[in-house]
Amino acid sequence: MAVLFGGIDVGSLTAQAVVLDNGDIAGSASIGVKPNPLDSARTVLMAVLEQTGLEPGDLHFTVSTGYGREQVQKEGLSQANISEITAHGKGAQWLLPSVRTVIDIGGQDAKVIRVNEKGDLEDFVMNDKCAAGTGRFLEVMARTLGVGLEELGPLSFQARNPLELSTRCSIYCETEVLHYLQRGADKADIAASVNRTMAERVMALVRRVGAQKEITMTGGVAKNVAVRKELERLLGIRLVEYRVDSQIVGALGAALVAREMGGGR
Amino acid sequence: MMDLKKLASELPNRYVEEARERGTKIIGYACLATPREVFDAGGFFPYRIRGMSVTRTELADAWLSRFNCGFCRSCLQLALEGAYDFFDGLVETNGCDHLRGMFENWQYAHPRDFFHYIRVPHLTNQDSMDWFVEELELLKEALEKHFEVSITEEDLLAAMSLQGDIADKLRRVYESRWGDEVRVSGGEILALMTLEGSAPAEDFSRLLDEVLAEYPSRPPLKYRARLMLGGSATDEIELVSELESVGGAVVADSFCFGGRIFRGEEPLDGPPLRRLAHRYLYNLMCPRMFDDYARRKAFIDDLIERSRPDGVVLFHNKFCDLHGVENVKLRMDLEKQGVPVLTLEKEYGAAADIGRLKTRVQAFLERLGK
Repeated sequence: MAVLFGGIDVGSLTAQAVVLDNGDIAGSASIGVKPNPLDSARTVLMAVLEQTGLEPGDLHFTVSTGYGREQVQKEGLSQANISEITAHGKGAQWLLPSVRTVIDIGGQDAKVIRVNEKGDLEDFVMNDKCAAGTGRFLEVMARTLGVGLEELGPLSFQARNPLELSTRCSIYCETEVLHYLQRGADKADIAASVNRTMAERVMALVRRVGAQKEITMTGGVAKNVAVRKELERLLGIRLVEYRVDSQIVGALGAALVAREMGGGR
Repeated sequence: MMDLKKLASELPNRYVEEARERGTKIIGYACLATPREVFDAGGFFPYRIRGMSVTRTELADAWLSRFNCGFCRSCLQLALEGAYDFFDGLVETNGCDHLRGMFENWQYAHPRDFFHYIRVPHLTNQDSMDWFVEELELLKEALEKHFEVSITEEDLLAAMSLQGDIADKLRRVYESRWGDEVRVSGGEILALMTLEGSAPAEDFSRLLDEVLAEYPSRPPLKYRARLMLGGSATDEIELVSELESVGGAVVADSFCFGGRIFRGEEPLDGPPLRRLAHRYLYNLMCPRMFDDYARRKAFIDDLIERSRPDGVVLFHNKFCDLHGVENVKLRMDLEKQGVPVLTLEKEYGAAADIGRLKTRVQAFLERLGK
């Protein structure tokens, strides 16, 4: 019988859980977070267990990560916790063994993580206390433009004359976008400027940590095709892709660490 | 051990109450360039101003800008709220411009009876020494004149001797963490360091006797990695304790409420004020000093060599330009030496910031393989 390991990642906007058997991902689930991180952890864990037909007791060892990681462990839903920085590095490098740099952009933070050939953390940088360069920035801009978050990326590709945003601050950007809308600017041109601004902000972090090839993206913002494209242009290389949802990489990393701690292969 | 953190959490503490009952005058100061021996010699209680991790600074913000260091704004906020009304006087230095703004707005908006400004040189040479000796003479004269006391050379020598004993005891507790077994946490050490500035010398000396008698019988702390901290002025005891909760034992620091308190020996000859001036000026490990990076770096190298941290965490408060710049240079130099470094910019006292900072410190421990 396979030995199973769990990873739970409770972030600021979404929560994920991954079940790993000794060789591969047995199941994964993702939900929007609830007000209490413990409720998020329980719900997402139950979702993945239901999907895989397992009981909580079937998991040999579970590791939590993300903002709720300590509480989740204290409640006994996990046996250890790790930072989301290690988790994303570990998960991405397992998916793509050639990866040495991971750009993880979540709901409320952005990180650039450098890992070695084992997926162990070599260096990292995280954004300061500011929404600029995080998923929240894109959410605010999408709402201001009156489009869905998932539309913001594809909309950029329709831009004919991308505009310039003169600031990186989310609040001032929102004012500037409103100003462009009042002047009758095309939404696609504004969306292109929003995505470019986002990528430029993240590039400042990439420069601080010093990117090494191969480079990939994780987190919710990795789903924004325009931000990816802009980052590829700024980096001068293609970001490598993988086969799973970019939002489960943190939970996957936690499950991989659970496997290491729990004596799996 | 008595609850050092609790004792440090009170501004008008039991020592203040006792001093008020005795009629002892209490003088507020903030900067490590202020030689407390001069106050001790005159029978005053020198009390080091703290920000107490206060984050609501609406009163202070009317006088200082949001672009001033949060520590200075918090100190001013407490002053304007009346939390420091037990002070009979204030002694300002030009430690940094933010600190000067704090003192001068304080004295303007909520004045104390006695106010004196020590102009501390930014250089260490013969001319600046002569200047600083004169400044200390002016301080002594101002205290004598305003409070009608006499501060003799004998008083100064006795105060210097007592502070020497205190430094020896404090160093024994501080350095107790340099072996493999750590029995006193970084949070407790920071509490002790803040108490150094909020208890009269004799009382603090007795407190240290209790600590020295108690700590060796404690069980060693469990930790994943040894850390050294450095950076801006901070008295955030809870912040250090929270960061230690992820598994890092703080074994040394270069904070000005911390390792910078220790000074080398003063020259053994010459008038007391000249000896004091030399001791303070030549041991001021603060980036406000010009052309002195090499000495500060040597001080940190020495701490690293003796305390053997696995990594160094450098903080700076937002808008603290002195440490913001210094930390970049330190990080680059230490990393060249193979010392892992984490730099963190933080809001002073912001509890909401703790989760963000803990994530980084936990990741740093993981990066260290701990």
